[in-house]
Amino acid sequence: MSNKLPLQGIRITDFSWVGAGPTTTRTLAEYGAEVIKIESSKRPEILRLTGPFRDAIPGVNRSGYFSNRNPNKKSLDLNMKHPKARDLVVDLIKKSDIIINNFTLGVMEKWDLGYEDVKKINPQIIYVTMPSQGSTGPHADYMGFGGTMSALVGINYLSGFPEGEPFGTGTNYPDHVPNPAHTAFGIMAALWYRKKTGEGQYLEIAQTETSLNFLPTAVMNYSLNDEILERIGNRNLNAAPHGVYTTLGNSRWIAIAAFTEQEWTGIKQVMGFPAWADADKFATLDHRLKNQDELDASIEEWTKGHDGYQLMNKLVQAGVRAGVVQNPKDLLEDPNLIARNFYKYLDHPEMRRHVYNITPCHLSKTPGQLTSPAPLIGEHTDEVLREVLGLSEKEIQVLKAQDVVG
Amino acid sequence: MVVDPNGKNFFANVRILELAGELGGYTGKLFANLGADVIRIELPDGDPTRHERPFIEGAPDKEKSIRYQYLNTNKRGVVLDLTKPEGKDIFYKLVKTADCLIEGFAPGYMDSLGLGYEQLNEFNPKLVYTAITPYGQNGPYKDYPYSDLISMAMGGFLFLAGNGDNKPCLAPDKQSYFMADLYAAYGGIVAMYHADNTGEGQFVDVSVQESVATALENAIQTFDLEGKIRRAFGAVEAGTGTYLCQDGYVYMMAAMGTNSYLWDPVVKWLIEEKIPDAELLSGKEWLDPNFRRIEQNKATFKRIFEHFSKQHTKNYLYVEGQKRKAVIYPVNSAKDVLENEQLLSREFFKKLAVEHLGKTVTYPGSPFRLEKMPWALKQSAPVFGQDTERILAECKYSDSQIKSLAERGVIYVK
Repeated sequence: MSNKLPLQGIRITDFSWVGAGPTTTRTLAEYGAEVIKIESSKRPEILRLTGPFRDAIPGVNRSGYFSNRNPNKKSLDLNMKHPKARDLVVDLIKKSDIIINNFTLGVMEKWDLGYEDVKKINPQIIYVTMPSQGSTGPHADYMGFGGTMSALVGINYLSGFPEGEPFGTGTNYPDHVPNPAHTAFGIMAALWYRKKTGEGQYLEIAQTETSLNFLPTAVMNYSLNDEILERIGNRNLNAAPHGVYTTLGNSRWIAIAAFTEQEWTGIKQVMGFPAWADADKFATLDHRLKNQDELDASIEEWTKGHDGYQLMNKLVQAGVRAGVVQNPKDLLEDPNLIARNFYKYLDHPEMRRHVYNITPCHLSKTPGQLTSPAPLIGEHTDEVLREVLGLSEKEIQVLKAQDVVG
Repeated sequence: MVVDPNGKNFFANVRILELAGELGGYTGKLFANLGADVIRIELPDGDPTRHERPFIEGAPDKEKSIRYQYLNTNKRGVVLDLTKPEGKDIFYKLVKTADCLIEGFAPGYMDSLGLGYEQLNEFNPKLVYTAITPYGQNGPYKDYPYSDLISMAMGGFLFLAGNGDNKPCLAPDKQSYFMADLYAAYGGIVAMYHADNTGEGQFVDVSVQESVATALENAIQTFDLEGKIRRAFGAVEAGTGTYLCQDGYVYMMAAMGTNSYLWDPVVKWLIEEKIPDAELLSGKEWLDPNFRRIEQNKATFKRIFEHFSKQHTKNYLYVEGQKRKAVIYPVNSAKDVLENEQLLSREFFKKLAVEHLGKTVTYPGSPFRLEKMPWALKQSAPVFGQDTERILAECKYSDSQIKSLAERGVIYVK
């Protein structure tokens, strides 16, 4: 195993907040990048104020929503309203490889920290910006959130049951994977380019555009076949049965999918070959697709008397694709995730020991590291000023007295 | 393919081998977007994605699966029987020239063919070997069969897509595979960056279940810190969620905690429009999330708001709402997405005339925009066996050897 992580020596000036930006920089921090998170104790970011909180007691250093997005980072408490704050940022940019923000359009420019300004300060910088619908076009300055973007790009239209309204994913999905993971990949491409040429560049990520790369089928189908795909619940055009079925307990379900005749036979075997399942109307995939309402009802009649995990194990042993619809408690207790060290518990001064997940790429020789919990707000202000910017104790005290830093 | 303004393409000499399966297609596509030489290796029985519905013009045809066409742009395709010794020899030759291998077979399958990481590492110590599997390379579920639905269930994402005791619903387009493929690309490029610096390759192990479990918002922490099990946000409070309009639905966010900045513009607009009872919504009590969660209050908001929204189209509510700082988004169909003014203005969708299909195909464009590495749609997904001959010739096989290998079913040449 190497001693040196792949991104050791890469420094990031991180203006990002809330979801997608901080998730991007934490994935880079796991592989050794030094992330300096610029925050303001006067105006803490929204996730520090959003639960869950340790012991359900609110506090800027108690949010688990915030903490899992910000391990391994240093927090610099900077008052950007003070004219001297920009000078410190300029010095930091000179010593950084990457600067990232996900503000609405115009915020960085207002501070004279747009790309044109920043590349004069450091020509080798990789400048990352994440406007939700891009920096150009008639809707560039529209307000929105992950949940509303899901509706805009077509996720909601296709999620839900045909007889009900469009539902969506129940989360701000684009913020959690499509946007941050594409951004992290794009940053790595820019780092590669810089390694070969010595040149930095501008990288723009629109949340709508990353999400649409995960949703090709409906738009391509419409443009090629002139047909609008509609929501079909948990069904699938290529498989039947394909659904979520009630099992014993409250809000407990099992997911079962049969794409092949062999898998259908496997289900019949686990059911004990009931007579109904041998009817002609279920004999082939096409027949099962045509008679899904009855098929699903009959399967559910069977599953509802069983424990989900026991059923899953029996089905899996018969070669059938099956899985419990796991809830968050199940996930934390999942033996497979635990065996693979997906979770790491870190000690935090206010939150005590609590859970983080890793970025799910296990590199055999340079595995990602979660070494420190999310920072307290301003926890590293002195350290960054002293060790990165080379300021003396006296200079730091002056900045504090002038309310430039917290 | 990517060419910078000075005519340099710094990914052109990067070679990625991708073993065709349900997993890994998007991983390779991301590298192909950057201009890397991505060779998709299909086994003689073909890439399973070729058989997925929907198809262009409806009827099954191995060149017409829409998902196949999307995932494999800008790649080359070779058909190779890796179970035969001569097929393995060809594969070894390709591995020697590769920076990264992407595969999605069950754990242990490549080892059983003599093509596992340890064996390939001997041919090329710099190789990054990226394996994507449903549950990872180890753990009690590693050999369990899977599909997108199963991975979304076991990864915890499915559970969140529902309220109360309602059955959850699956997101479209196999999001679990996309998430795993994207993380594999990220892990792969980090490992390649390391290999370029140090000469040291490595194994990258990506699990679909884990990839899904990173998309749970704050659900894991909500249980860990507060002992509560959460499901969907949205639809649980007045002012957040899905509402009817004249031509379908809108999704709005008028409420966030005790903040008023999203709520006030909506109420002001409803009052301006003289919507009956709109004044009821201006009371301070509506800024309390607990008040907004009461069923009767949800119904009141819905009645008042839909009286207004049903008179207007989703696009009108969206655009006019933004002028007033009201966050009301359209629930767009595929048609709406293709006609979206913003995406059109940014020329996001790209078209390519595909000769063998006799069609001009519209594709989603690049997921990000790099100033010095502009993205271009260079070629459509490879036809079965399209580049076999050329790639074997590059590996110094003679015409007669290629002919003989094809006759014996080691390769397929189109």
